[in-house]
Amino acid sequence: MSIIPSAKSTGALYWPVQARRNIGVRSLFLVVLAFLVAYGVLFPGLFTASGFAKFTQSWFPLALVAMAQAILMLTGGISLAIGATVSLGAVIAATTMAGPLGVAGGTAAVALAGLGIGAATGFIVVKLRLPAIVVTLAGSFIIGGAALLILPRPGGSIPAWLSDLLAGDTPAAFVLLVVIVLLWKLYLATPLGLSLYAAGENPVGAYRSGVPVDAARVAAYAISGLLSTGAGLFVAAQTGSGDPVIGTAFTLNSIAAAVLGGIGFLGGQGTMRGALAGSLLLSLMISVMFFLGFTPVAQYVAQGLIIIGAVAIPQFRKVQP
Amino acid sequence: MTAWNDSAGGRRARAILTSRPFLTLAMVAAVWIVASFVSRGFGAYGHLRYLVELGAVIGLVAAGQTFVVIAGGIDLSVAAIVTVSAISLPLLSWQADPTGLASVLAVLALTTAIGVVNGLGVALLRVHPMIMTLAMATFLQGLLIIIAGGSAVTAENPLVHWLGNARPAGIPAGILLWLAVSVIVLTVMHATPFGARIFAMGANPLAASLSGVPVTSTTLTVYGISGFTAGLAGVLVLGMNGQGYVGIGDPYLLASIAAVVLGGTSILGGLGTYAGTIPGSILLVTITALITVVNASPGWRSILFGSLILGLLLLSGREQARR
Repeated sequence: MSIIPSAKSTGALYWPVQARRNIGVRSLFLVVLAFLVAYGVLFPGLFTASGFAKFTQSWFPLALVAMAQAILMLTGGISLAIGATVSLGAVIAATTMAGPLGVAGGTAAVALAGLGIGAATGFIVVKLRLPAIVVTLAGSFIIGGAALLILPRPGGSIPAWLSDLLAGDTPAAFVLLVVIVLLWKLYLATPLGLSLYAAGENPVGAYRSGVPVDAARVAAYAISGLLSTGAGLFVAAQTGSGDPVIGTAFTLNSIAAAVLGGIGFLGGQGTMRGALAGSLLLSLMISVMFFLGFTPVAQYVAQGLIIIGAVAIPQFRKVQP
Repeated sequence: MTAWNDSAGGRRARAILTSRPFLTLAMVAAVWIVASFVSRGFGAYGHLRYLVELGAVIGLVAAGQTFVVIAGGIDLSVAAIVTVSAISLPLLSWQADPTGLASVLAVLALTTAIGVVNGLGVALLRVHPMIMTLAMATFLQGLLIIIAGGSAVTAENPLVHWLGNARPAGIPAGILLWLAVSVIVLTVMHATPFGARIFAMGANPLAASLSGVPVTSTTLTVYGISGFTAGLAGVLVLGMNGQGYVGIGDPYLLASIAAVVLGGTSILGGLGTYAGTIPGSILLVTITALITVVNASPGWRSILFGSLILGLLLLSGREQARR
């Protein structure tokens, strides 16, 4: 992934480059498409307006955390604190929005918390040179503790109209996702976004070529935090209240979705569209299990197996030739 | 440079004094001395002995973790394996087994097998260790809830009870177990061909493989060891607690990784020693004890724990600057 699409590379060069970037995820797109068709046949409700809305709503938070994890993995980082950050976003939303701050103030608080936590994590990892995996593991305790402090037990509330808007019969989640993807495209065209892949693929080379490696990585952590708390806000709107441990499962799922989508652990490898497709695949699997009547516990077991299988099979194929 | 630095003995002394295990040990001593001045009763022999006994559990989990990390991997399933061990042991009790040894061995075989499955995923399916072990943890968590439900199970196993409560010659059996495991681990790590192979594999897997290191079997063994020591820790924690429940192993995931990193082992693999993990484990227990002294809500305790580990990492866990 040495060439980065930018808004400037118009016409002749842009599409061939994009086509080459799609090679790695083409088979994944086919699998996702097959799954979508199968899902649509099994549950015809998908093609009604409300069915589509519900489906995108169940996918949306997973898509956000997959992006949050993918942007870190592209820079060669990782976060084991995504789940805790999602929980924190959910409890902040549930405690502020019904209060004097209102929805606008609550959203701002959620966004600021995400950006702040992400930037702080990024600073510690990048500037103080500590291993990301340990920092974020310790960070998950700090962030999870903060969530417990804000809301010791499930409670709080989200204004009903916001829940209806985000998690009702409107395709608001899908529209938001499209907006976020467009913003991501825009970000990739900024200097920091352009540095992202370079900083992940070859940090030393990029640094020596004048790429702001450290700034790109810290910015990636900040954006990752923002996406995570945003997912938390959405989850809170879905359930109508806050829960200090609601995000726990997102840590594994975010890594799994990113890896399913072809993002490498070493940085610089993969595309965001791949991560999104990976999250869609994972979300489809979870929905199918839910509709087939798996208990939540059995879902845990099946999910562990599916993730290993789904990650292992492409790796396996890669080794054979 | 002073004269004694130039002599061979002086250089040796200097190397020991600036080595990571020694620095971590010094940090433990400093924290203990300060804490015993601040809090009355902290420095009492009985209390310190109790701390080391608790440290034995982390130390055992971290023994396997040290192997895995040096070999270039990471094991995020240790907490779930500790819980598996502590819950399945009471379920695996036979009448024809008065000492309880058979069920302990059966549980250790089970947890070792879980570790080997981790190794199979990493070595043969080429799943990244983090995904493999995290997925294994998710899988085990679901399985445990199905098997044990939400209730705690009581152990009636004489051997486990002895391990958790006996004090031959005034030293808790758990500490003796840890001592024995430490001697074995340090010997295997630094004085056998297998030990040399895991360092080689962690430093550069491709070079190691081309130099004839059997990467697959070494990986299986390393993860198997991690499953074994986590199982052993589960047996010990069950003996000390008397009861096993879902979630009993949860504190040991971060603790084991933090103990390894605090002890100077590089999370990137290929560099480190269990000699540093030992004081690292005691340091972690000390931190937890200090947090318990401060009477705080679960949220604050969690925050303090995470912050203190971050702070200690800043003192000792920094990577080399690039460029």
